[in-house]
Amino acid sequence: MAQIKIFGYADKISVKPGDTIQFHVSADGTSTAEAHLVRLIHGDEHPHGPGFIEEEIDCVANGTWQVEKQFTQVGAFLEATDPDRKLALDGSITLCAFIWPTWPDVGHRQCLLGRWDNDRNHGYGLGINPSGRLEFWVGCGNEIDYLQAELPLQKQAWYFVAATFDARSGRATLYQEGVVNRYNSLLSKVAPVEYRSHVSEMFRFRQNNLPDTPFLVAGSRDWHALRGHFVSQLYCGKIDRCGVFDRALAREELDAIRAGGKPPSDGMVAYWDTTKGYTDRGIGDLVIDIGPNQLDAKGYNRPVRAQTGYNWNGRNDCFRLAPHEYGGIEFHADAMIDSNWKATKTLELPETLRSGAYAMRVRGGDGEGLAEEYIVFFVRPRTPTARIALLFSTATYLAYANERFATDGQIVQPMAGQPPTISEVDIEIYENPEFGAGCYDTHADGAGVCYTSYRRPMVNMRPKYRIAAFDLPWNFPADLSILAWLEHKGYEYDVLTDEDVHLEGVAAMAPYACILNSTHPEYHSERMLDAHEDYIAGGGRFICMGANSFCCNVAFRDDEPWIMECRKTGGHWIAWAARPGEYYLATTGQMGGIWTGFQRWGQKLVGNTFAGEGFAHSQPYRRMPDSYDPALAWITEGIEGEIIGDFGLGNGGAAGIEIDCYKLGFGTPPNTKIIASSGGHPDNYIAHDEEGAHAHQGFSGTHNYILRADMVYFEAPNNGAVFATGSIAFGSALPVNGFENNVSQLLSNVVDAFIRPGPLSGSNTTRKSTAGLERVAP
Amino acid sequence: MSIDSGIKWRNPLFVWGGKRDVEELPTIPFRSHKEVWERTRRSTTKLNPVGRLRYYYKWPGHGATMWNRLRYWPTRRRVLRVRGEYNPKTLRAEKTIVDKRPIWWVLGLLALAIAPLFTPGDLQNTLLTAGATFGIYAAISLCWMLIMGTAGVFSLATYAVVGTAAFVTALLAVKFALPWWLLPPIGALVGLVFGGIIALPATRLDGFYYALLTLGLNELCRVYFVTSKEFGSANGGLYGARTYIPEEWSQLGQLLLAYYACFGLMLLALLLYRFVNGRRLGRILRMAPEKREAFAEATGVNFRQARVWVFLVSSAALGFIGGFYTSNFGGVAFSIFNFDTVLLGLAMLVIGGVGRAEGAVVGTLIVVFFDQVLNTWGPARFMIIGLIMLLVVLYLRNGLFGIKAQFRAWRDKKKSERRSTRAEKGGELLPEEATETEDKSVIYQRRHDKMTRDHLKTLVSPEIIEEHRHSLNGQHSEALERLLIYFRTRPQVEKYAIMAVERFEGYRIVALSGHRGVAPRVVEDRIYATPDEACHGVFMRRVQDLLES
Ligand SMILES: [Fe+2]
Repeated sequence: MAQIKIFGYADKISVKPGDTIQFHVSADGTSTAEAHLVRLIHGDEHPHGPGFIEEEIDCVANGTWQVEKQFTQVGAFLEATDPDRKLALDGSITLCAFIWPTWPDVGHRQCLLGRWDNDRNHGYGLGINPSGRLEFWVGCGNEIDYLQAELPLQKQAWYFVAATFDARSGRATLYQEGVVNRYNSLLSKVAPVEYRSHVSEMFRFRQNNLPDTPFLVAGSRDWHALRGHFVSQLYCGKIDRCGVFDRALAREELDAIRAGGKPPSDGMVAYWDTTKGYTDRGIGDLVIDIGPNQLDAKGYNRPVRAQTGYNWNGRNDCFRLAPHEYGGIEFHADAMIDSNWKATKTLELPETLRSGAYAMRVRGGDGEGLAEEYIVFFVRPRTPTARIALLFSTATYLAYANERFATDGQIVQPMAGQPPTISEVDIEIYENPEFGAGCYDTHADGAGVCYTSYRRPMVNMRPKYRIAAFDLPWNFPADLSILAWLEHKGYEYDVLTDEDVHLEGVAAMAPYACILNSTHPEYHSERMLDAHEDYIAGGGRFICMGANSFCCNVAFRDDEPWIMECRKTGGHWIAWAARPGEYYLATTGQMGGIWTGFQRWGQKLVGNTFAGEGFAHSQPYRRMPDSYDPALAWITEGIEGEIIGDFGLGNGGAAGIEIDCYKLGFGTPPNTKIIASSGGHPDNYIAHDEEGAHAHQGFSGTHNYILRADMVYFEAPNNGAVFATGSIAFGSALPVNGFENNVSQLLSNVVDAFIRPGPLSGSNTTRKSTAGLERVAP
Repeated sequence: MSIDSGIKWRNPLFVWGGKRDVEELPTIPFRSHKEVWERTRRSTTKLNPVGRLRYYYKWPGHGATMWNRLRYWPTRRRVLRVRGEYNPKTLRAEKTIVDKRPIWWVLGLLALAIAPLFTPGDLQNTLLTAGATFGIYAAISLCWMLIMGTAGVFSLATYAVVGTAAFVTALLAVKFALPWWLLPPIGALVGLVFGGIIALPATRLDGFYYALLTLGLNELCRVYFVTSKEFGSANGGLYGARTYIPEEWSQLGQLLLAYYACFGLMLLALLLYRFVNGRRLGRILRMAPEKREAFAEATGVNFRQARVWVFLVSSAALGFIGGFYTSNFGGVAFSIFNFDTVLLGLAMLVIGGVGRAEGAVVGTLIVVFFDQVLNTWGPARFMIIGLIMLLVVLYLRNGLFGIKAQFRAWRDKKKSERRSTRAEKGGELLPEEATETEDKSVIYQRRHDKMTRDHLKTLVSPEIIEEHRHSLNGQHSEALERLLIYFRTRPQVEKYAIMAVERFEGYRIVALSGHRGVAPRVVEDRIYATPDEACHGVFMRRVQDLLES
């Protein structure tokens, strides 16, 4: 019998009691699975900690589920809306497009545009054949006639390509001309490359169209006995303006389009102007047809828009400045933003459910290894009741979703300072593109992955997962150590997610006296950042539990919050680099990259942010003089000696992995105090390159004082306050010795003080807010 | 390995008081990486010019002009298989004729067509007769090639089929005064019946036994026809059929007519060969057996049946040739069943190379030339044919037309042999490989890698290994840090990693594939209890690989 594998996801990540949530499950090797709702309390199975803890919750969905193998359509493409079959042209035809192939020699056929049934060989198509040459083909079922260009296509070069077919004479002609300028392609004009190709041949028959074949851009219809219809022959590369005519255009007419002229209206069936419909606030998935039939094309798996087009000339760096130069739509054969599986179970959550981190545990067979899935979601209260909220960094989870550092990243071993520790599920996602990638990966064609979503299995959001590259719990599993600490200490708390903060802004945060965030609060949309700022300035008390905080700028659409866009630019601390001219988020029109690029350093919000990272052993903190200030003595009350956190489940110390530091030049509030700092990080720790304009020897741990975790504290207006740990390893130190240790003690001191009504002890209580903001914390 | 030098590495992190940071550890004396580079610069290896010269002309690409491609109507086959491509060295757009055989065929057939105009007067008779014989035998060879090469049936009864058809048609022609044009179709019928009979055992018997069987059949035919009164046992053959050659024509005219008629017969045989071998049926049969089975299963094509089909078609064609034989010579001699005829026919196939039409035609040309044109040499010419055949079988893998591929394979083998003897480069790309490398930075990468390895090998010592065991990923001495940075920065292909068999319980060492979709490979069975032990295991493997490289 085949190995049992269970994978699943939920349609929502943040819900309230009484809400309806759908679970989508795919199973290999079994038709039934045992499901049980659980509340997650602790994830990390490290033998020096409390181990994995879950609480089984009664609900109507518990029990045996019928499950089946579900298939996933990977690859981005456009589908034209053509209810009247205007594109089922069976006579003369012209197909034309501006293209920028990224992987012409991938070795299988890529369809650029066509109404082609790849299974039954009906229709017509213009594409790239397995030898990397442009090809035009028509099919009538039992036979295909085809015509290929003279020379293989060059990668990353703009071409204008067309195929014309005169049905009366049977003559088919291919038109291929380079439209390379000084900026838009890989090579300049000094490279002696011949881009042109014009080939003509007589076809024996004309195309025959099936009624239900869709007209696709960047793919073609296919069929499989188990899956039914799907799309194959997926294209890797960019396509700019493209069109279809019902006559064979003359070469001069094609020349005119290539030169940027208006396409002729005579015979035009469709012409997709990829630059139409852009707004200052972003670009949608619909590509507008400016032809007579309005056959707009809809993007599937979110083709990347706002990319430079064939006429980009380097002067403008954003689609908002010059939409007509940004007609490039980029396609990837392995893009995936939604598994689109059938719902396996729909559950109306019990009204009695307390706020927390939950999962639907689904087990097939013995429930070992890949036969066990935890579909994680977060439950907020109907109305906030607790004074404390734990804010889960779901944006960061999305960014890291299904990352493949260990298997794909050559630099990961020198970064980690150790060989990766891979588990079965890492191999599973490495073998199957159906899982999609995260924003730390590149597509197989080499471009970075800029869209990620939670409507697909996210194996590294499972509670027991350990990141292969570093052999540590990472993000969600690590954040559960904070939740377990709250549970252990008996605090009443609610749970929030980044999604709530993005959609509701400060209103989601305001009800709470004190908010703790996660070990790795790295990714924030503008609205999330604004909400944090307003919350703290309005008197909220905020504990930044982790490091690498508030670094990266991401964007969501309001109606599809499960998809996040991320463009990597600026500095070396990026997994991939957005191409020149493609730094702006198509979702919002805002520049992507790091918040540093906007003068919104994390320090301006919580006093410290990214200094650097390393994965050799972690270090303890050593108290700094400010901690002995009697006004701040409450923070370290009950802690003996100078050293804090010389233990931990995260590489043996409370300070390490990724560490943040105080920096006045980056906007740390000047009243900030450093309570303790770590030190003695080995040379495996390398400083963030914004710490110096030039790379130089001496960037690393033993040479560079920047590499430290600063535990900082400052008071904000309206009795607000911030405490920031400056270390990812901090959270993993909490559970050591049954949560009885000086890190736990210190955090208790801070939380107790933060939730106590009234001004903080030792604070300047007479100070009034200058921002004029409502005080939101009671 | 070095002896204990007494040299200590002092840990810069010791002052921070971390629990795992020891004060000092034994290490080795400093060795500069420059030693390796300087040693290499002193190398006196003789350097030769490298790279492959292109000694034949390549047409330029079409650029902006239209390239009108022609097809053989009504197929989608192009008249010449021409591929446009970039010259890998100069980037020039060029055209390469992928398959030059059509050109050679046209030239060769043209030469045969006009050859009679250039025959010297005194040899005209011999040459034209030989030419006619060549036409007929080439046609026979082509059909036989279909049976042997395409259908893969090792039949030696080819001349038995031809002879039988010839004798039957001659008998009928003599008895019923049939016109000449009826003889080939009747022959085809005879061939079909004969073929049908011998096809039955073809699919059941092994190649060798089938060859024996058909050889026996050939002999049986000979004995039957020689002894049978009806077939003119007294005359050495059966003659008297009407031929297509008008008797009132001049001798030259008659010779020319026979020459062109036989030439036409060969063209017909070529067409048949092309039709059977080049279409789907033939393509399936020429696939490798293991592929063929899978294909047959996938498409529902019964390739056993296809073999029989090819066999029957070829047999009918052989019968047709037999009938033509009679209408050409007015009859037929018993010698067609002779064992030497079979052997000569076999020589025609083997010399040219089994499995290709040009092999059959050129092989026939050579044999007929020796047999018919040099007939003044007497029996010596058979010795020569035998010798040629022997040499071909001994030294050539696939006849004369396999020479090119065989030569290339031999040249490549010699090249790699030469390369492997030049071990002093130790991992660097050899100049002749390097010129063929697309990405020139790879050449330097390999050089850098080699230099680095040569230096790192001098750093491996018991002290360093002990240091690693003690501190896997903390702060390290200069020597150990160099080794680790090298190991960790290697490309992903075959790079070691740890696989958690059971978290916190068992780990094993694997090697990454470096290719998406391909799982890591398990490199050893050993299970390590902790990740740290596995990590040191990885280090030891890497050290060993370094020392062995
Ligand atoms: Fe991060």
